[in-house]
Amino acid sequence: MSRVDFLFMCRWGPLSDVRLTPPSHSLTLCPVYAEQRDPEFGWTGEHRQLRETVRGLLAERAPVSRSRELAESGARHDAALYSALAEQVGLQGLALPERFGGYGGTLLDLAIVAEEMGRVLYGGPFFPTVALAAPALMASADEEACAEYLPRIADGSVTATLAVVEGSGVWSPDDVLTVADAGGRLTGAKFPVLDGVDADLLVVAARGPEGISLYVVEGGAEGLQRSALEILDGTRRMGRVTFDATPARRIGAPGHGWAAVTQAREVASVLMAAEQVGAMAACVELTAEYARTRRQFGRLIGSFQGVKHRLADMAVRLEMSRSAAYWAAWQDPGTEEFAFGAGTARSFCSEACLQTGQDTIQLHGGIGFTWEHDAHLYLRRARADMTVLGTPAQVRAELETTVLAAAAELEPTVATHSIEVPA
Amino acid sequence: MTVTLPVELPADDAELADAVASWLRQNLPADWLAAVEAGDRATVERIRADRDRAAAWFDVLGEAGLATPTWPREHGGLGLTADRASIVSEQLVRYSAERPNQDFVGLALAGPTILEWGTDEQKAARLPALARGRELWCQLFSEPGAGSDLAALSTRAVQQEDGNWLVNGQKVWNSYAHLADFGLLMTRTDPAAPKHRGITYFLLDMRTPGVEPRPLKQMTGDAEFNETFLTDVVIPDSARLGPVNQGWAVAITTLMQERNGLSGRPAVGPGASDALVARAVATGAWRDPLLRDRLVSAFVEERSLQMTTIRSFVAAGSGAPTAEGSIRKLAHATLSEKLGVLGTELEPDGAIAWDAHERPAAVEQFLAMKTYSIAGGTSEIQRNIIAERVLGLPKDPDPERHTPFQERSRG
Ligand SMILES: Cc1cc2nc3c(=O)[nH]c(=O)nc-3n(C[C@H](O)[C@H](O)[C@H](O)COP(=O)(O)OP(=O)(O)OC[C@H]3O[C@@H](n4cnc5c(N)ncnc54)[C@H](O)[C@@H]3O)c2cc1C
Repeated sequence: MSRVDFLFMCRWGPLSDVRLTPPSHSLTLCPVYAEQRDPEFGWTGEHRQLRETVRGLLAERAPVSRSRELAESGARHDAALYSALAEQVGLQGLALPERFGGYGGTLLDLAIVAEEMGRVLYGGPFFPTVALAAPALMASADEEACAEYLPRIADGSVTATLAVVEGSGVWSPDDVLTVADAGGRLTGAKFPVLDGVDADLLVVAARGPEGISLYVVEGGAEGLQRSALEILDGTRRMGRVTFDATPARRIGAPGHGWAAVTQAREVASVLMAAEQVGAMAACVELTAEYARTRRQFGRLIGSFQGVKHRLADMAVRLEMSRSAAYWAAWQDPGTEEFAFGAGTARSFCSEACLQTGQDTIQLHGGIGFTWEHDAHLYLRRARADMTVLGTPAQVRAELETTVLAAAAELEPTVATHSIEVPA
Repeated sequence: MTVTLPVELPADDAELADAVASWLRQNLPADWLAAVEAGDRATVERIRADRDRAAAWFDVLGEAGLATPTWPREHGGLGLTADRASIVSEQLVRYSAERPNQDFVGLALAGPTILEWGTDEQKAARLPALARGRELWCQLFSEPGAGSDLAALSTRAVQQEDGNWLVNGQKVWNSYAHLADFGLLMTRTDPAAPKHRGITYFLLDMRTPGVEPRPLKQMTGDAEFNETFLTDVVIPDSARLGPVNQGWAVAITTLMQERNGLSGRPAVGPGASDALVARAVATGAWRDPLLRDRLVSAFVEERSLQMTTIRSFVAAGSGAPTAEGSIRKLAHATLSEKLGVLGTELEPDGAIAWDAHERPAAVEQFLAMKTYSIAGGTSEIQRNIIAERVLGLPKDPDPERHTPFQERSRG
C-alpha cells in the first residue's frame, strides 16, 4: 500500500462502499405541463407581455403595502383579487391543460407570474393551490380526479393545498406517519401546512395498505380538525391539520403517492425559486435606490465602498439565482434535467434570498430594523421559504446521486479540461 | 482531404452541435480522434504538445472558421452569436480540438479589439493569422505604477518626424510575453492631458529591437508572466490601433472582452467541481457529510454560474459585452477560491506533503486559486464596476481624474 492509500484509509476508512456509477438514463415523463420548446433563455414577445400584464395588475391591486396590510390584520388574502386573477387573467389555470379548464401554458409562463408575485410578496392560497396541489393532482395521473378538481382550481372557485410534512420539516417517505385504512379513512397530523386552515381541498400524502398514496380530503370532512399556527411570514398562513378516521378519496395508483409528491415538489421548487428571484430583485432595487439618495458624512452612502461592494455582491447573487430558476423552468418537467434544475435552483436561490434579506436591512441602517420598513417582510418570507419545501441542505443531499453521476461521466467524454488563461 | 462545414449552419442548436461534432470526427487526425474517444488523456496531451501537429490542426480548424466562430465570415469566422458560438466551443473542448489556453489574449482580446478598431490593413494582416493560430499574443497593459488604476500608465510613446513612434517604459505581469509574437500595448502620448485622454494603443511586434520580456516566477512556481522592458522601441504608425490619444476607449473594448471571457464554461456541463467530486470519491472524503454538502454546494454554484453565462450570451447575441460581464467575472473568482481550498480538504493530509510523482492536482489548484480575483481587474474593481455601471451608484472619487497626467501625485 502506498503512503497515499494508507493516509486515505486512516482518514475516511476503507474505500469499498462508494463508487462512481454512470447515470441511468431512464426518464419517467410526467404529464404535468406543456413541453417548453423555445431555446433556453430566449424570451418571446408573449413572455414579456405576460410579465407586464401581471406586474401592472399587482402594482395596482397588490403592491407590497397591501401584502403588509393583509399580513398585519391576519387576513388570509384578498378574495376579490384572487377571483380577478382567475377570471380576468386566468393565472390559476395558466399552465393547466385545456381539457381541465386551463390555458395549456408552460411552467415557464407560470414562473414569470411567480417572479412578479415574489416581488410584491403576494401570498395567500395562490402558491399552495397552483404550485403544490395542482401539480400533485396532475402528477397523480388520476384523470377523473383531475377532471373534477382542476377546472374549479382554474376558475378560481376552489383553493387547495398539499399536506406532506408532519412536524419534522423533512420531505421523506419515512417521515409520513399519517395512515389510511382500507376504507380510505385518514388518521394522523400534518403541520405546518400552507393555507391548511382554509383551503377547500387538502391533497394529503398518507400511508395506506399499498404504501404511500395521495388522498383528497374535502374541507368540511368529518373528523378533520384545523387550527391556525403562529407564523414568521404573515403573507402565507399555515395551519395544523389533524385527521381522525377522516373520510378521504384516494387518487392515482395506490402506492404511487410519493412519486407524485416528488414531482409536485420539483414544480413548486422552481416556482418558489422564481418568487425568490422577484423578491431579491425588489430588495436590490430598493437598496440601490436608498444608497443613491441617503446622505451621511456629507456624501451619498452609495459612494462608500463598504456599501457599494455589498450591493454588488447582492447583484451577483440575484443574477445567479435568476439563471438557476429560469434554467430549471426551461427544462421539461419529468426529465432528469428538470429534477436537477429544481434542486439547484432551490438550494441556490433559498440561501441567496436569505442573505439578500439580511443585506437589505444592513444597508438601510436603523430604518431597516423597523416594523414600518418592508425589509423585514422580505427577510421573513426568505426564512419561511427555506423550510417549506425541505431545507437547502436536504435538497443538496438529494442531489448527491446526480452529482456523483456527473462526476462519473467526466473522464471518458471530456479528455482535457479547458480553463481560460487570464491576461 | 478537408471536409468543409455546410455553408448554411443549422439553425437548431442540437443540429449545430452535431454538425460540428461530425466535422471534427471527419477532420481530426485518426490517432487524435481515437485517443479522444478512448478517453486516453495522456496520448491526447502528447499529440497536442507536438508543435508541428498542433499547428497543422489549428490551420485546418482556422480555415473552417471554427476557432473564431463569432467573427464575421469575411475575417475568417462564422458570424455566430455568442450563445451559438459557445455550442461550437463546447464541441471543440469535448474533442480536445480547441486552441490552447495561451491563445486567450489573441482570440478573446486582440481579435475582437482589432475587429472593432482596426484599419482594413490591420484586419487583413492580423486576423487570418489569429484565426489559424499562427501568432501568439500577449497583453502589455499593467505597469509597476498602474494596475487597478490602469489609466495612470506612464510608458511613454513620442511620435518622431518620420511618423514612427519611439517607446520607453516598463510593463509587468504580462502572461506569455516571453513567447509572444505580438503584444497589445498601451502608452502615454500626451502627458499634458488628464490620464484617460492621453493614451494611445498599439499592436506591437514583440521581435522589435528594445522589447525585452523577463519571466517572473509566480507563487505557483511557474514562470508564465513577465516584466517587459521597452527601451527605445520604434513602432511604425501603421501599428497604431485607433486614434492618437484615444487609446482608453480602445482599451475598454479589450477589458470588456476580458471580463466577459473570464467566467468559465459557457455551457451547463462538467466543470471543476465535477473533478473534485470524482477526487472525493477516490480519496474517501465523499463519506464525510460536511464535505459532501460543501461539494454539492460548490457544484450547484458552478452550474448556476454556467447557466448565467449562457443566459448572458443569449441576451448579448452579436452585441458587444457590457458591464454585466463583471458579475460573472466576480462570481467566477469567488468560486475559484472556494474550489481551491475545498480541493485540498479532499486530500487526506490536506495536500501539504506528497511522495515524489504523486503530487495531487489540488496543490496546483490551491496555489492558482487567487488568479481570477486579481488578473483581468481585481474583485474590488469588479464590485466597483457593478455598483457604478449596473446599479447606478456614485463613482468612486478620483481626485486626479481631471488633473493633467504630468501633474499627478506618485506612489
Ligand atoms: C496571474 C496574473 C496574470 C496577469 N496577466 C496580465 C497580463 O497578461 N497583462 C497585464 O497587463 N496584466 C496582467 N496582470 C495584472 C493584473 O491585471 C493586475 O495585477 C491587476 O489589475 C491589479 O493591479 P495591481 O497588481 O497593480 O494591484 P493594485 O491596483 O495595486 O491593487 C492592490 C489592492 O488594492 C485594491 N484596490 C486598488 N484600487 C482600488 C479601488 N479603486 N477600490 C478598491 N480597492 C482597490 C485592489 O483590489 C488590490 O486588492 C496579471 C495578474 C495576475 C495575477
